[in-house]
Amino acid sequence: MDMRKNHKEKVAATCLAGLAALVLTACSGGLPEDNVMTFEKESERIVTLFSPMEKTKPDVDNVARSASEKTVVMAEEKLGVTVDYITYTAEDYQDKTYDDIALDRARNDMDDLYLLNPDVIQKLAGEGKLMDLSGLDSAKNLRDVVKAANIVDGRLVAIPQEVVAYGLFVNKDLFDKYHLALPETPEEFLECCRVFQENGIETPVGANRWWLETFVLAQAYAELYNGGNTEAEIAALNSGEKKYSDYMRPGFEFLQEMIDRGYIDAGKAYVSEAIDGEGADFLAQKTPIVMAYWGAANTPTAYGNPDFNMLVIGFPSSMGQMPVMPMTGIAVGVNALHAEDAMRTLDIMVSDEALQVYAETNKVISPSKNVAVDCIPALKPLNDRINENVFVLGSNASMKLEQWGNTCIIVRMLLSGSTVDECMAEFDRLQAETLEH
Amino acid sequence: MKKRQDKSKTDGGISLLLSIIVVFCILGAVVFSVARKISTEMSASAIQNLSESLDLIECTIEAVLNKEAEFQRLMAQEIAMWEDPEEYICTFQKSQTMVKISLVRAGETAGISNTDGPFSGEALDFSAGGMVDGLPVSQSYTNYMGTWAYTMKCPVVKDGAEIATLYIEYVYDTLDRALPGGFYNKRAMLYIMDAESRRMVLKPKGMGERSAGHLNLEDFFRANDITDEGLREEVDKSIRDGKNIMFNHDIRGKNSLIYMWSVNEGTLYLIGYVPVEAIQQEGNTVNQNIFIVVAVMLVAFFLCCVLYYFNQRQQNKIRKEREQEREIHNRQLAEALQAAQIASNSKTTFLSNMSHDIRTPMNAVIGFTTLLARDAENPDKVREYTKKIMASGQHLLSLINDILDVSKIESGKVVLTVEEFTLNDLVSSVDAIVRPMAVAREQKFHVEVTGIKHEYLLGDETRINQILINLLSNAVKYTQEKGNIWFRMIGMKQRSPQYERIRIEVQDDGYGMTPEYLDIIFDAFTRAENSTTNKVQGTGLGMAITKNIVELMGGTIDVSSEVDKGTLFRVELELRIPEGQANRRFWAENKISRILAVGNDEEACENIHVLMKEVGVETDMVCSADKAVQALKENDGEYYQLLLVDWNVADMEGIDKVKELQETAPDTMPVFFLADCDAGLDETILSGHTKVLAKPFFVSAFQEKILEIRAEKDKGHTRDEAAVNSLEGLHFLAAEDNEINAEILREILSIEGADCEIVENGQLAVERFMRAAEKEFDAILMDVQMPVMNGYHATRAIRALDRRDAATIPIIAMTANAFAEDEKEALDAGMNVHLAKPIDVELLKKVISQYVSGKE
Repeated sequence: MDMRKNHKEKVAATCLAGLAALVLTACSGGLPEDNVMTFEKESERIVTLFSPMEKTKPDVDNVARSASEKTVVMAEEKLGVTVDYITYTAEDYQDKTYDDIALDRARNDMDDLYLLNPDVIQKLAGEGKLMDLSGLDSAKNLRDVVKAANIVDGRLVAIPQEVVAYGLFVNKDLFDKYHLALPETPEEFLECCRVFQENGIETPVGANRWWLETFVLAQAYAELYNGGNTEAEIAALNSGEKKYSDYMRPGFEFLQEMIDRGYIDAGKAYVSEAIDGEGADFLAQKTPIVMAYWGAANTPTAYGNPDFNMLVIGFPSSMGQMPVMPMTGIAVGVNALHAEDAMRTLDIMVSDEALQVYAETNKVISPSKNVAVDCIPALKPLNDRINENVFVLGSNASMKLEQWGNTCIIVRMLLSGSTVDECMAEFDRLQAETLEH
Repeated sequence: MKKRQDKSKTDGGISLLLSIIVVFCILGAVVFSVARKISTEMSASAIQNLSESLDLIECTIEAVLNKEAEFQRLMAQEIAMWEDPEEYICTFQKSQTMVKISLVRAGETAGISNTDGPFSGEALDFSAGGMVDGLPVSQSYTNYMGTWAYTMKCPVVKDGAEIATLYIEYVYDTLDRALPGGFYNKRAMLYIMDAESRRMVLKPKGMGERSAGHLNLEDFFRANDITDEGLREEVDKSIRDGKNIMFNHDIRGKNSLIYMWSVNEGTLYLIGYVPVEAIQQEGNTVNQNIFIVVAVMLVAFFLCCVLYYFNQRQQNKIRKEREQEREIHNRQLAEALQAAQIASNSKTTFLSNMSHDIRTPMNAVIGFTTLLARDAENPDKVREYTKKIMASGQHLLSLINDILDVSKIESGKVVLTVEEFTLNDLVSSVDAIVRPMAVAREQKFHVEVTGIKHEYLLGDETRINQILINLLSNAVKYTQEKGNIWFRMIGMKQRSPQYERIRIEVQDDGYGMTPEYLDIIFDAFTRAENSTTNKVQGTGLGMAITKNIVELMGGTIDVSSEVDKGTLFRVELELRIPEGQANRRFWAENKISRILAVGNDEEACENIHVLMKEVGVETDMVCSADKAVQALKENDGEYYQLLLVDWNVADMEGIDKVKELQETAPDTMPVFFLADCDAGLDETILSGHTKVLAKPFFVSAFQEKILEIRAEKDKGHTRDEAAVNSLEGLHFLAAEDNEINAEILREILSIEGADCEIVENGQLAVERFMRAAEKEFDAILMDVQMPVMNGYHATRAIRALDRRDAATIPIIAMTANAFAEDEKEALDAGMNVHLAKPIDVELLKKVISQYVSGKE
């Protein structure tokens, strides 16, 4: 009995003593004894990264951005550097584009790292403004197709964190409603658009000023990239034996027909930013077809949460549904202020470990041959084609004429009223320029 | 009453609880108010602090702008002094602040710049009318470097005439370098917005929350979910008016303070937000500390309450325990009082009984003595009266012995005398005493011994005897005539190999006892009283003595009884087995290794087998005379050394069969009949080699009978015991202070033909012996309690005398000190033997004959 009483008293005394110790410890932080306080100046190792930011909605996380950020944090932790983000977003079509600003900033050595579109990569690489990245450890892990697409004059000038694949985002429910099979060829696509239009959908294809080129590229190079004679054909184009316009014409004529039949609203597309212009109608099921990149299917701010059965398929071509894969990438400025840290940061950001995290977060195809993740069901048709090695490169550094940017600009010419012939003449002119150099 | 007390206790508890709750509510309210006041004051202070920080940043930016403007004016003055201003412009290199310097001559639309060739001021928009230190400033735009920039223009005046305009492009990155890296622990966001275009021209360089709303004011509103139109209009108006504004809004679930701070008279705005918790960190810390203090106080208070509660509980418990103890004490006292009263009553009853019981034989003694005096001449009468006086005296003696036993046991003075004894002797002596009593009452007395493995045991035989006599004499007393008495001795399973565990059962089919009497049967001074038993004489102490002795031996006793059906006493004792049983040798020496036993009682046969095996003799058991005959015939004459026949065989199969068996056995083979004491044996079958062994079977008895046969065979003559024990011609010295006793002694000895000289104390005895010639006295009879010198001292003195016979002369203690301790003391003093008074003449004769040498 006494033992138990003593035990309780001991417990209570211990609790009180513990409490007292806790309070004393908590309150023990007093003023420093020395009246003169000194402060060390923080010296930060900074690496600046120029990258785009989309217009945002409150409380929505950008998946792609989050994935990229994880790799950045990984680099920051490993190297002890701080990555400062420099961003630019065009307010409207009259503003300078992200690519324009990227070119300006890179040419003026404003930043260390740049997230660049393929045409910009090709331009800046041509001007010698980008560092050769082939010495990085992570470069060894890249898939051959990724490497090939980013090598200019034997220098690896950019490394992507994901392989961007463009495709058609279709509202399968509407296709089913009108008993339409998913189109394989341009003819079938036109037929689908006709049926939709007849059923009251005036503009079956939602478009913006950036991505209509994917139709053209798919039809132009389906056979070049999948016909088994790719290198020879590219060599012929580079030497002028063959004309880019010959490849491009069917695609442009196809686009022209779409415009003529009213399947695409050329005027609206000409002034529309990506997703901003056509996204709302697609999500509202007013437009059954749009085009976008792989990541849009995973991104809540884009087409991540549709209220209908969405599928992503390749663009119609003579060889069936064709994914178009331009290679964006991160490049290091040749005169970057913090070049060494920038190179190390990039090495970590595109390491297998980082790319695994990136691919898992963003559910994308990884540029590393060592990283593979499952894709969401909506992307399966597109993914299947890519796994079958059936795709068209949206950009190819081995072609002397830059494809992604130039085709985009020439498609805009078509949208703004130029004829197909005028557009082809522009290709011929540009090809002639390349031959002169 | 108790309920009312409980209720008042409950009411008291509730009011105490309510008081505590009220005190805590007041304390809580005070703490809350203080915390709130501190929060409000700290919040106001934090907002003041924030506005001062923003003012500081504003001043910094304005200072940079003003310095830029001032420097541009100086440049314009410098240019005015140059003959070829364009050449001057081209000498400037691009710097981090002034990224482009251009000059347009007055009246021209195009000019030159230091970065690339032609320059046109028309591309720049000065329409908003923004000014820095008197110089017009353009709207913000993205410059050739891909970053946000603004241009200030300054007229170049020479000789009072404006000869050109100097355009200098500045980048906002310059301001970024002048601004702090972050404030409020980098939790505050800071954008610079061009007021006219509402574009964000300088953005925070980071991730996370800063990923939102960096494009323009609209995007900022959208990203931060500022949808209240009224608020947006108010913000818009304030920006137009160049006012500073601040408002609260939730950003990503956190209450934040959004600020828009006018710079350079509203051409630029500092825009951003900071979570309220970040600017009120000190207030929160203070409040947290207050709450910690309160929490600690509460915990301490509750700990005190808990301690108080436990203490109270402990106190209550102790109080209750004390009360319980008091109650127990009271109860014990009451019980003790009751017991004392009962004891007192018992003793009164006992005394009354004793008075009666003593007076009765005393009455007989006195009465018959009177009659004796009168009829002294009539020898027949005298014999009759003396016989009756003797009986009454014996009864009185047993009464006194019992009383003394109880008194000794109760005072713990009884010492057990542990010696080796045989169960055979025990059973025989008990049988010898009880059987005549039973026979006198025409009762059947059955003795059964089973399962005993060891016959020789260590124990106080006298006391065990006392137990058995008590139980059996009671059984005889309390059983009607022609009833049955069973005396069973059962060997139990041993708990330890060193101890024989024995159960003794004494059963009768007599009067039995009531359950009430069973409860007090073992208490002293009680006796079953009813019309039947009143005829029985006794002290009522027997059972108490029995129980005490049993317990003294570490045994148990219990009883079950039913009125008119009988009683069963069970005594369990554990008796030590002596080491090295000597009698094993006897059998080996006599060359007896195998015997044939004939009997139809399986249990009895098994008993014999076990006991004989213990002494190393194999026993072949057969169940009939025929089989025994067959066994004898099959084996030669030496195979069996003995034949043991249960007399039951004769009863069952006829005496002829037994005779046949007897004849079959070799002539030299001893034959033993195992029979009950009261069995009528045919004398014709008994011969020199045939003996009767009393049931129950004991090895020691068996052994004695064998010795008997051997002795007869040796034809050794047996001495006439009576002759041996005769005291004829002996001369004794007796020390006895009591004249009557002395007289009695003298008379008794004279009757036996001996004479004695009596002295009154030990001193006189010593002196007389000293004077005596050698062999004058055959022995000294010594009383113990005597005046002057007691018997012990006298004995020691005699033994110490320097004469030859001092050490050898038998000294016999004759004393009323009748206990074992007295006997021991007597022997220690040097006496040869101890006899208790009253003197048993036969015993005296036997003892004297044993010790007095030379008598033969």
